[in-house]
Amino acid sequence: MTDLVPILVAVVPGIPLVGMALALIARTPRQADLLALATALPAAAAATALAATALARGGQPALRGQWYLLDGASGVLLAVIALVGLCSFAVSPAYLRTSGRSWTTAARSRSLYYAALFLFWAALLAVPIVGNLAAAWLIIEATTAASALLVAFSGRREALEAGWKYLLLTTLGLSVALLGIIVLAISQANAGHHDLHALDWHALRGAAHALPKDSTLVAFVLLLAGLATKIGWAPVHNWLPDAHSEAPAPISALLSAALLPSVLLIAWRVKAMLEPSVGSNTTHAVFIAFGLTSILVAVPFLWQSLPWKRLLAYSSLEHMGVIGLGIGFGTPLAIAGVVLHVAGHALAKALGFYAALPLLRIDPAAAHRAPAGVVSESPSTAAAMGVSLLALSGLPPSPLFLSELLILLGGVAAGDPLISAIALIALALGFLGLLHALIEGVVGERARHRRRARSRAERPIVALTAILGSGLLALAAAGLLLPGSSFVETLARGAL
Amino acid sequence: MNAALVSAMLGLGLAVIMVRRRSVAILLLAAQSLVLSIGALSLTGGRSGDSLVASFVLLSKAIVLPLLLYALIRRTREVRLVVATTSPLMRLLGAGAVVLCAVTLVPPLGLGDAHTEHAAVALVLLGITIVVARRPVLFQLLGLIVAENGLSLLAVSVPGGLSYVIELGALFDLALIVTVAAAFAHRIHSQLGTGDSELLRGLRD
Repeated sequence: MTDLVPILVAVVPGIPLVGMALALIARTPRQADLLALATALPAAAAATALAATALARGGQPALRGQWYLLDGASGVLLAVIALVGLCSFAVSPAYLRTSGRSWTTAARSRSLYYAALFLFWAALLAVPIVGNLAAAWLIIEATTAASALLVAFSGRREALEAGWKYLLLTTLGLSVALLGIIVLAISQANAGHHDLHALDWHALRGAAHALPKDSTLVAFVLLLAGLATKIGWAPVHNWLPDAHSEAPAPISALLSAALLPSVLLIAWRVKAMLEPSVGSNTTHAVFIAFGLTSILVAVPFLWQSLPWKRLLAYSSLEHMGVIGLGIGFGTPLAIAGVVLHVAGHALAKALGFYAALPLLRIDPAAAHRAPAGVVSESPSTAAAMGVSLLALSGLPPSPLFLSELLILLGGVAAGDPLISAIALIALALGFLGLLHALIEGVVGERARHRRRARSRAERPIVALTAILGSGLLALAAAGLLLPGSSFVETLARGAL
Repeated sequence: MNAALVSAMLGLGLAVIMVRRRSVAILLLAAQSLVLSIGALSLTGGRSGDSLVASFVLLSKAIVLPLLLYALIRRTREVRLVVATTSPLMRLLGAGAVVLCAVTLVPPLGLGDAHTEHAAVALVLLGITIVVARRPVLFQLLGLIVAENGLSLLAVSVPGGLSYVIELGALFDLALIVTVAAAFAHRIHSQLGTGDSELLRGLRD
């Protein structure tokens, strides 16, 4: 299977790019839907095969080519992006049927939607496997252009505001990150390494000891500050709640479950490669500061009565904080938690956003206010929302319960019991906030003037709840095997 | 790079934050990109590959992108100029403070040319300041390009230059972002009847 890796590395982002071209030539909405799904299936299969190859290698060193790097973290992200991407394509026709006209005619809008979605997906699939820091930056920047169009797809004033804010803030953030990359390139050039491969992950890791400490520290801070904007870490998270809540639900799922952790992976790789020069105390402090701040900023919003997608957006802020904290602690226990958290959060959050599709169909006003008593109108939608919220809140047997426990214990093992204690209290408050939202929104008294859901329209969300809910349970079981495994030990060593 | 060219880039960046008319700001930006490209061409030392890339960047940033932006303002005519929240003098003072911060606070980046290092970082900060201080969406878009010109200034000054892949990739990304942002600006204008970003402040918690 390893022999096929170079081919798969090219095919995985390549198929979605073919899909983008096909979407633009589709003549009817039905044709566009069918072409999109028919292209998404082989792309997801190829990405899953590549992910399986990476994961099957366990603790072995990463596979490297001229342009790619495939390690355990790549495997986890690829699997997540493939699954959530495929699900987003599957539910997109349901969204598009009710979205109507956006920036252009309905038929043309659909082609543009799929073209932008394929471009976004191709870029997302490339991020975890790209073997070079500068190339990773170029691909992340490309995700901004494609996804900003998707965020504002509905063409409504609020969506335009969210899309514009997202475009400006993340582009400026990435400019700051590029400044950091150029500073690193100057250091490498001064050491005689001029070509593009001087910025390969393993080349930087190898040269880190020889890099000048002061300018490398500047580069590290600039890179992290810039990437933090795209990850949505507080205090540079302003675009996140708006973009997640205004984007079409299938796009919100990809933004939260795939984009944010993919960029976080790049931040993690930056930490791993520059740590020998910058020092572990500094890298840990920066990640822990971003992680803890994000959790503390997010929790009060989880107690507010917010529209469903906006609540999920603040939950993303909280969970990106948890993952940042885990990477900051950096102990094998914490890294086991990080791996589990990335996968568990992706499944639970994607299900939550997909549940917004039937929710907004039966109660369009739920786009602007908190939902209420959904169970009485649509038990299937309420079940999806319930599974998502309970998993996100970390209630056992959610894999996020185990992952958060591992990260907090990893913090104690790293000698940061106070940080772990503060995070534990904040997460407990967040848990109560989400439980409150569950009781009020899903089970509580229903709002008036709502359409009763038709059973046929509910079939997709029933299927997704079954698939993603089973995935969450499987992850919870698999998570028990992670601590102490060679897979996690290798990741914790930061071996590239 | 020649110190006069670097100073000219900084001066043109400062002018973008001050002027009222969008067309004048686009001209200033085109001039800044032209100065950057002349500087980049002078650094190639006659290497044909480097000259080709620098010429391509010159054509794209100093001619194609300004033309695209000019076409945008032709399609999004403002009935009256968007009222600025601060006076040009205040904006200049703010921008001057930003440049001063860059000069005093930025540590050596390893280039061995403090003037270029300070100017590059100052341009990135100026770009951010333009985005924050100017209300019209087109000016905010120009802020992104000013910041990108600052990055390009540092990139072309790297000893031996950056790889073509990075330079061309960054140019492709910039073109993509500017095209998408132009589409947004056009849509915002059609929806609101103006390109005033102050009207895009409805999303709050």
